[in-house]
Amino acid sequence: MRRRSAGLVLLEVLLVLFALVFLYPIILICINSLKPFSEIMTRLFSLPRKLALENYSTAWTVINYPRLFLNNLVITVVGVAGIIAVSAFAAYKLSRTKTKYSWTIFILCITPMIIPFQTTMITLLKLAKMMSLSDSVLGLAVQYWGFGAPFAIFIYHGFIKTIPRELDESAIVDGATPFVAFLRIIFPLLKSVTSTIIVLDIMWIWNDFLLPLIMVNGSKSTRTLSLAVYSFFGQYNTNWQFAIAALVLAVFPSILYFLLMQKYIVKGVTAGAVKG
Amino acid sequence: MNTIGNRRYNLLVFLAFIIPASVAIVYAFYVPFIMNIYYAFTQWNGIQKVPTFNGIDNFREILREDDRFGAAALFTFRYGVFYIVLVNALSLFLAILLDQNLKTKNALRAAFYIPNILSLVIVGFIWKFMFMFGSDALGDLTKWRVFQLSWLGDRFLSFYSVLFVSIWQSVGFYTVIYIAGLQSIPNDILEAATIDGAGSAIRFLRVTLPMLMPSVTSCFFFSLISSVRVFDVIVSLTGAGPGRATASVTFDIYTEAFTNNRYGYATAKTLLLFVVVLIISIVQVRAFKNREVEV
Repeated sequence: MRRRSAGLVLLEVLLVLFALVFLYPIILICINSLKPFSEIMTRLFSLPRKLALENYSTAWTVINYPRLFLNNLVITVVGVAGIIAVSAFAAYKLSRTKTKYSWTIFILCITPMIIPFQTTMITLLKLAKMMSLSDSVLGLAVQYWGFGAPFAIFIYHGFIKTIPRELDESAIVDGATPFVAFLRIIFPLLKSVTSTIIVLDIMWIWNDFLLPLIMVNGSKSTRTLSLAVYSFFGQYNTNWQFAIAALVLAVFPSILYFLLMQKYIVKGVTAGAVKG
Repeated sequence: MNTIGNRRYNLLVFLAFIIPASVAIVYAFYVPFIMNIYYAFTQWNGIQKVPTFNGIDNFREILREDDRFGAAALFTFRYGVFYIVLVNALSLFLAILLDQNLKTKNALRAAFYIPNILSLVIVGFIWKFMFMFGSDALGDLTKWRVFQLSWLGDRFLSFYSVLFVSIWQSVGFYTVIYIAGLQSIPNDILEAATIDGAGSAIRFLRVTLPMLMPSVTSCFFFSLISSVRVFDVIVSLTGAGPGRATASVTFDIYTEAFTNNRYGYATAKTLLLFVVVLIISIVQVRAFKNREVEV
């Protein structure tokens, strides 16, 4: 073990200070969400003199927090579960079938990854209306399957190639159906990739803004948390104390998720990026 | 007979495995894309049943008369160049620092990553608050001119505010990728270079950077994609203002369709955006392919 040099200690101190400055806006928002508006204006950097908890109770009821939290949860869970289910099956079969058609289908499946969502959103909305998928929480959740599948198929496809064919083939010879062979033998081996996709997709769907904005912003009961904060800022643009309380309420689940899943998130980002 | 039955069975199994994903992707991308090509050549307000065909009128108007689109394209291009260069340079620098033998390196990495888990709309509002109240308060406190400027209200400065907030949100993401890249470089190669007399600058340029090329490729690609898509942060931070100084192409498309109700015209813009993205992607893949070193 080398001795830590003085330079390294200095670097460490500077980095810690920089990190505090870097995160200061989040800290400042949290502190100020507990102050009445007059105090935000006059004493921004100090701690609250008296806790203005009514900021939170107002924000909580105005955005109907429990309801919207549930919306976010349903959209994320149904979205991610569906992405995993459809992609794992498709990637497995596309990876195991070595024909020209199979390769073409694979390329067609992953191409949408590079295309910005905004290029197709206008006609997508029309299509969603025709299929009655707009203005509904479940309808929105289901639509994420198609947006998440290209990346998931890409990642699964690359990983399945490294799993020996003999494993599933011998199970089929022993009389298992292809469906069972995949679920029992191959899918458990994909655990690490599956967790990568889950971790990345949860962050993406939970925070997504534009697709919910065009699909479910019509009614208060179908909104997501980001949408609620967005319209809250539009409505109460002079009452910043309520708006930032709503902001903290919306940020809180993400921070909690990060603190709990930090290890997996970092692993997931790295794995996803290196393969991508 | 048996082989034909077998083949048919295999085909059925193949279809059963791929159809759910295919249907989802065809719904999310291919059908809207084909509809786009049709509507791009029509005048359509989103409500009328049968859009009026108007040939290449939309494209002619976009390229010849639409100053807003031109301004948005210029904004997006400038934003993209600044964002890609700065976010990659900063995150690579940060990654090198955080790759040192520090006691708090895990906590530090987490700290810089935190903004990335927040939704961009929310990040935009956090910084709107900072620019409105924080910079005023700091200006009163320090009397420094930097804090007395109107960072969101000035046409020139608002560009840098959007850029700054986007970088603040995403620098941790790229840092994580670069750290992983740095850690995958075998130590003995670096040591060999040192023994051969390479100084730290030469070692970085000749050994570390070439070995890091896969990470650089990924990060360039991600930053390119995200700069073309920039939307959420603009909506919440500046509302594309002042005037339309910070309107991106995607913002322009959004308002053209959903505010002005010129759906046909907006789809023509999306088609142009698609072609540009396709060209950039092909160029990017070509350019980076032969720069990577095999280990």
